[in-house]
Amino acid sequence: MVFSDEMRDSAYYHYSPSYKYSLGIELVDEKKAMKNHANFRYTYLLNRKNTQKSQRNLYFQSSLSAGGNDEYSYGFLGDWETRRYFIGFGAQEFKSNLRDYDKQFVQIGFAPYLGDYGDLHSWLMVKSKHDSRTDKWNTYPVVKFFKGDYLLELGVDENDEPDIHFMIRF
Amino acid sequence: MRYLLFSILIFPSLALAEATMHTDHSNHGAHHSHEGHPHTQLVDGAEIKLDAERFDKFVLNQSGSQIAVVSVTGMVCDFCARGIEKTFKKDIGVKKIDVDLANGKVLIAYAATAKIVNEDIEQKILSNGQTVTDIQILTAQ
Repeated sequence: MVFSDEMRDSAYYHYSPSYKYSLGIELVDEKKAMKNHANFRYTYLLNRKNTQKSQRNLYFQSSLSAGGNDEYSYGFLGDWETRRYFIGFGAQEFKSNLRDYDKQFVQIGFAPYLGDYGDLHSWLMVKSKHDSRTDKWNTYPVVKFFKGDYLLELGVDENDEPDIHFMIRF
Repeated sequence: MRYLLFSILIFPSLALAEATMHTDHSNHGAHHSHEGHPHTQLVDGAEIKLDAERFDKFVLNQSGSQIAVVSVTGMVCDFCARGIEKTFKKDIGVKKIDVDLANGKVLIAYAATAKIVNEDIEQKILSNGQTVTDIQILTAQ
């Protein structure tokens, strides 16, 4: 997965030995701090509820930076989705010797049409994120497309900064 | 800039939505007798809800194959369901697979001689994060 926003660019590769957890490494370019480092990330599925029409998930996520300063993070991610609607949220605490901060986001969306398996699927979404370093909520539209093994999520926030996620399923 | 970007992205999306709805409407018309919710009845009287047209297309040229019709919950996303196809394609006994998101069904064509183990199917689906609620094995004519 490739991610980009006003604060950082990152590339993340993860492996899931089971659907319960995944282990990954994230290569990060901190734009404002002008430094690069790697994060080792662990994600654990705390709860999942599958129904005929929906899936709900709650994850614990933590990371440990190899960049020094004893940086680490932990938090929770959750989502509920049907083929038509999506609601997601996340809250994370980031700790280091230099500064502690936290981030939160909420995201809602809907699919304007229901594609079949293999079709191009499209989502129209709104995302709102908060970073304690700027102490502002930033709300903006996001579009998400996926087809086959490729997923692209693209938004431009209130500061005209891109918020991009690109994923490939291997 | 974000409004311009959003406008560029939203219009093709809505155009595609219109095209897809038109296609769906045509399908309903062609299969009016199924009332959009076709069912297949097994010899023992059990009934499985599946898309008859989709099933017929799937079993075309699969004469003699064993067809597993797997009912799955939590299969709401194409991208998430990709792992199911990848996992079953690693099984040499599997000839073909189809995912029906609308009806929550996975169709798997096995070779006539393949030994089908329900627990193996359940485990493969579970490893992708979904849950199996029913498995029916049919033989393609």
